Amino acid sequence: MWCTLSRWLISRTEDTGKSLPRFAGRHVRGCGACGEFARTATTLSSRLRSERSAWLAGVPDFAVESGPDATPMPAAKAGAHEQRRSWLALRPLPVAAAATVIVAGALILFQVVLKEPAPTTEDRAAAMASLKTITSAPKGWQGVVRQAESPLDEERRILEKSVSSAVEYLQARLNIRIERREPQKPL
Amino acid sequence: MTETIAERTDEELAREARAGSRRSFDELARRYKRRLFVYLRPRLGSDEDAEDLVQDTFLKLYRNIGGYDPAFKFSTWLYTSANRLAIDSFRRRAAEKGQPVAERDLDIPDPAAGVGEGSDASGLWKEARTLGGDRFRVLWLRYGEDLSVEEIAAVLGRTRLAVRVLLHRARTSLAGRLGPDQRPMPRTAAAGQAIRD
Repeated sequence: MWCTLSRWLISRTEDTGKSLPRFAGRHVRGCGACGEFARTATTLSSRLRSERSAWLAGVPDFAVESGPDATPMPAAKAGAHEQRRSWLALRPLPVAAAATVIVAGALILFQVVLKEPAPTTEDRAAAMASLKTITSAPKGWQGVVRQAESPLDEERRILEKSVSSAVEYLQARLNIRIERREPQKPL
Repeated sequence: MTETIAERTDEELAREARAGSRRSFDELARRYKRRLFVYLRPRLGSDEDAEDLVQDTFLKLYRNIGGYDPAFKFSTWLYTSANRLAIDSFRRRAAEKGQPVAERDLDIPDPAAGVGEGSDASGLWKEARTLGGDRFRVLWLRYGEDLSVEEIAAVLGRTRLAVRVLLHRARTSLAGRLGPDQRPMPRTAAAGQAIRD
């Protein structure tokens, strides 16, 4: 079990660069097979890297056609163009359905607008009359407005009265003259 | 001093190819065709199939070069495409034969690879090729292409842990096939060693 774990940890060291835990290091020093595995794992990477070019040199050469045309379009543009074309080619039904809906909608809209008859002179006069009846407030409404405003007026009058009596008292008591200032204009 | 095309990095060449440079694309194809061949060969039945798949990969790359993001390594992008094409091709051929195919079926070791070729300068890779599809692929991507565990996981569509497990198994298998002189042993001796272990 220690051998399996130690070898996994040796591999982990190779892949992640983490150091070998102390218990595994002790085991590797004591176990010949794991020590051999550690040495092999360390040398394996450098040997595989160094033997790579020799192995590739032994692979027979072959031709690769990298593109269908001798003078290709700029790749990015060609890709985008092809994408657009394939989008249309792959989805003809949704495209046709969308076009039909747009055309039908436009036709209905135009028919509604065009078929609506132009207003006659009588219609205009009637519209103006009804507008006037709306804008001129009924007499009853004015009374309602006044009723709504009167408690506020009443309150203001009482307040003014009490303030002016207080002013009179102060004038008489302190023998001074207090004048009413003009209300300030709003900024 | 003008930099020659051979001195440019893969990512620089891919950027130029994306902008429409056929020369840069050809240079990329020249750099990678053999590397892709050795990566794909163990999965396929013959050298011709592997060459065809390399060709298909470059055609796909040519069509999609506009979608390459230079923020990523070119090799990761290329191997991801090649991997997908290899899986598609394998499934298509299996479907033509009327056989169901599972992902593990892609890991059949290449029986023609590495037999009796263990003594030259590339003996270790030839031995690695006989380990089986996934184990060989992770070894190639790790040490042949210098990809990180994260990049290999992205190429193969696996988790990082799965890649580390595969790398560990590949190392263990390969270490078991090396003799005391750290050279690949003949097959019969390696089998005997494996039994003793």
